[in-house]
Amino acid sequence: MSAAIEIRDLTLRVNGEPVGPIPVPVGTSLLDVLHEWLGLTGSRMGCGQGICHACTVMLDEETGPREMRTCITGAHWFEGKSIRTVEGHARTEPDGTVVLSPVQQAFVENFAFQCGYCTPGFVTGASVLIETLKRKPVRRDEVERVVTDALDPHICRCTGYVRYHQAVRDLVLATPGLTIA
Amino acid sequence: MAFLPLSTPARRIGALLAATGLVAAGLLASGVLERSAVARDVETPLTPEAMKALAPQGAKVAAAADCFACHTARGGAPWAGGLPLETPFGIIHATNISPSAEGIGGWSRAAFHRAIRDGIAPGGRHLYPAMPYTSYRGLSPEDVDALYAYLMTRPPVAVANKANTLPFPFDQRWTLAAWNFLNLPAEVAEPDPARSPLWNRGRYVAEALGHCGECHTPRNALQAMRSGAALQGAVIEGIEAPDITPSGLRRMGFEPHGLARFMAKGLSPQGGATHQMFDVVHFSTQHMDAADLAALSAYLFDRDALPAEPETPPAPAPAAVPQAVSLRARATYAGLCAGCHGQAGEGIPHVSVPLRTNTAMRVANPGGLLRAILVGLPAQRFPGHERMEAMPPFAALIDDAALADLATWMRAEWGGQDKAVTPEAVARQREGLRADASH
Repeated sequence: MSAAIEIRDLTLRVNGEPVGPIPVPVGTSLLDVLHEWLGLTGSRMGCGQGICHACTVMLDEETGPREMRTCITGAHWFEGKSIRTVEGHARTEPDGTVVLSPVQQAFVENFAFQCGYCTPGFVTGASVLIETLKRKPVRRDEVERVVTDALDPHICRCTGYVRYHQAVRDLVLATPGLTIA
Repeated sequence: MAFLPLSTPARRIGALLAATGLVAAGLLASGVLERSAVARDVETPLTPEAMKALAPQGAKVAAAADCFACHTARGGAPWAGGLPLETPFGIIHATNISPSAEGIGGWSRAAFHRAIRDGIAPGGRHLYPAMPYTSYRGLSPEDVDALYAYLMTRPPVAVANKANTLPFPFDQRWTLAAWNFLNLPAEVAEPDPARSPLWNRGRYVAEALGHCGECHTPRNALQAMRSGAALQGAVIEGIEAPDITPSGLRRMGFEPHGLARFMAKGLSPQGGATHQMFDVVHFSTQHMDAADLAALSAYLFDRDALPAEPETPPAPAPAAVPQAVSLRARATYAGLCAGCHGQAGEGIPHVSVPLRTNTAMRVANPGGLLRAILVGLPAQRFPGHERMEAMPPFAALIDDAALADLATWMRAEWGGQDKAVTPEAVARQREGLRADASH
């Protein structure tokens, strides 16, 4: 629109920590801010068109988390909002042990990923589903459908879908509180 | 598709139809009001050799007349019908027109002519005007013969026709004799000697074959096309079938060469064909001869010849928008839209359409724009291995006020539209539209 690049301050919460204000050009994607400003390189640039969902992060809202594509969403749209990236899922114990999130652990146990490029997106999508089910459990016979709905938008070029889906199905069915009889 | 606009309350039409029906009932029973456009010479059957020779031309007629789009259910057998057409009166199912017992296998040449041009099937059964016989009435007997030859040589498909769900009195087909008496033109347009052959061919392609007016011409209380307002645009299922008169086309940014290209490709700087127009390009116009598309464009622009050079109309001057609206809208645009449509609305080739030259910003009705933003659009394949990616639904991410600002600003900035889109208009659009969460 205008020749000069407009720069505005950005403030948000990332993985529970306040970030900013940092000066970011208007029109920068959140993915670029995560990569270039914050050093959080786990979220992947895949298609850059909002199709593959390798770039997704969790946006925390009052009604629960929502999955957002960071490659097509401007960083400033997240002003004042709170997000969780793939770096925010595992925790480190005082003795230095890394404890994966239940979703990450399930993916490891099921050998769900191969090259791993799509994995941050699958972790995000599956985690949004798990937290959504904590608030609103589904019948056990609906698990197949909700898992498919949650993971369907995610593209895996190694075609590891079966094991991704299996991992999330098993986790949902094995976790108390996510399903109702 | 005909019979679709929802703007007029069905009850009013029902009363009108019923009243008209009662008054004319006696006359109708006698059949004297039926005026056929079909000449007697089609009583002679076509020879098998003639059928074979005509069939290839019939394929072209079928494509230009877009028979397939309605007479083949999505995922169904070709020509076996079954596609539900939602009308203000109920659901009408397109019928099987393959040459089987369930279809038109037993139809004579003359019966076929009468169905296409008079809207009357064998046994005197009146067709609903959802079948655009009002337009097809202008088809030449030669083209109807060719179409007959083509359809009768398709594989027969034994699929029974689905029942329509029309309440009384709309299930009374005989009342359509009254409708025909009032709305079916007695005369068929003759070539205008004052105009070029190109223009005359274009008129035939647009009015008879392509039946453009069935969607783009507003309808009266009886759901008949208003001849005095031909091609001036209508709202169908909440979406504008835009004004395609010369001034309407120019307002959208089309010029004659660009329009012909759009009809062949489904894409243009004005955006991609969406909704029902996508089906039109997909099933019909992409298969039409370049000469017919040129003629169609010449007629729609009311020109005897296409200009030597493209005559792209200038972009509309931006309309003024309050600064507060513009600031909020620009923030929303940069956050949610620019990632795919570009910082300046320029779009990305093979991914997303440009917005700054998009018809959605320039047509009077913002419904199509609002609907696309709220529920998204599916990924679409266009001719020539072209495609556009799916547009995600934004209903959950934008509230009514923010979307009103965004639509107001985009339409003012790029379309020169000075009429603000109100949050109430957004709320109305949102109602009934459910975001498809599967994107």
